[in-house]
Amino acid sequence: MRGLVAGLLAFSVYFAIQVLLFHYIKVHRRAFALVGLWLSCLPFYAMFYGGLPDDPRMWPAEFSAPSDNITFASGGLLYFFLFMGYAQFIYMAESSVGIRTMIELDSEPERGLTVEELIKLYGHDWMLERRLRRMVHAGYLVEENGCYRITGRGRLVAIVLAWFKKWLRLGPGG
Amino acid sequence: MLKGLILALLIFVLFLTVHVVLFRIRVPQKRFITNARIASVLGLGLIVIHRATPPDLGILPSVYTAAGWAIDLVNGLIVYMFLFIGYSMFYFLVDRGFSGRIMIEIENSPQRRLRPPEIMARYPLEAILQRRLNEMISIGRIEERQGRYCNKAKGRSAAATFGFVKRFLQLGEGS
Repeated sequence: MRGLVAGLLAFSVYFAIQVLLFHYIKVHRRAFALVGLWLSCLPFYAMFYGGLPDDPRMWPAEFSAPSDNITFASGGLLYFFLFMGYAQFIYMAESSVGIRTMIELDSEPERGLTVEELIKLYGHDWMLERRLRRMVHAGYLVEENGCYRITGRGRLVAIVLAWFKKWLRLGPGG
Repeated sequence: MLKGLILALLIFVLFLTVHVVLFRIRVPQKRFITNARIASVLGLGLIVIHRATPPDLGILPSVYTAAGWAIDLVNGLIVYMFLFIGYSMFYFLVDRGFSGRIMIEIENSPQRRLRPPEIMARYPLEAILQRRLNEMISIGRIEERQGRYCNKAKGRSAAATFGFVKRFLQLGEGS
């Protein structure tokens, strides 16, 4: 339990700092901030692990494990996994088309919205421009005279994604 | 705690195998729900196998078998659950990724370059929205009434939760 509790405590510290940071400061490079903050909070994991007593002093035998490398690694893994899950949640809140759609539908709870009305609310140009800007920033695309050209890095990602889509028979998707 | 970790990895590999074989034979209608059901059944299998096998699995050195059975099982289940969540992230990226689809469209174009109007023509917003709307209907979040889409209770709850998160964390309108 020592590793898991330390992982949970370290994630709680990370979560509290991240929420306060994003609430009080308008963060523009969010992915960078999320990862950077997570890495900065890694010492908290080591600190909590070092500060907690050995399992047999705290927990019944069924929940006790020796304080070895596996226990330490398991807690570190929990800290990592919780971050991955939380990052996915933030990504959904920020970028999911489905979530945004439900929020837009909530503005007309009785009457509802048609697909055309939803498209007007979204603004395809803005949505596409935002994604293209991000992909240029990440080095997947290059903008040349209003045209977007795929880079070597982008090609690799496109080929891998297309292969998985085909392999799992998912259709064009998106 | 090695037994739980080993079983979690083995069961996760089994999940991937069943998932891939199933999708290769016949893609299910409700894809993600099917994945979640397979993962849940195998998760129960993980508990049963964990309880039915010896702490050393017949092969592990005694130094790795000192942990209590409950913590070993909990640890294994956590790892299994998060491996599934991690795979689901990858699965959604492949299946629904907006940016991924744009890159594939550009990669498949003759000059490997496109202007925004050309991307929009190949990947229209209406198609993106229609797919999401159909999926949200199938999972009971929204309903269609004579061509108009309305939130159901689950949709209202999700809209309220994520609306709050977006505002509180200053994430912008999004999408």
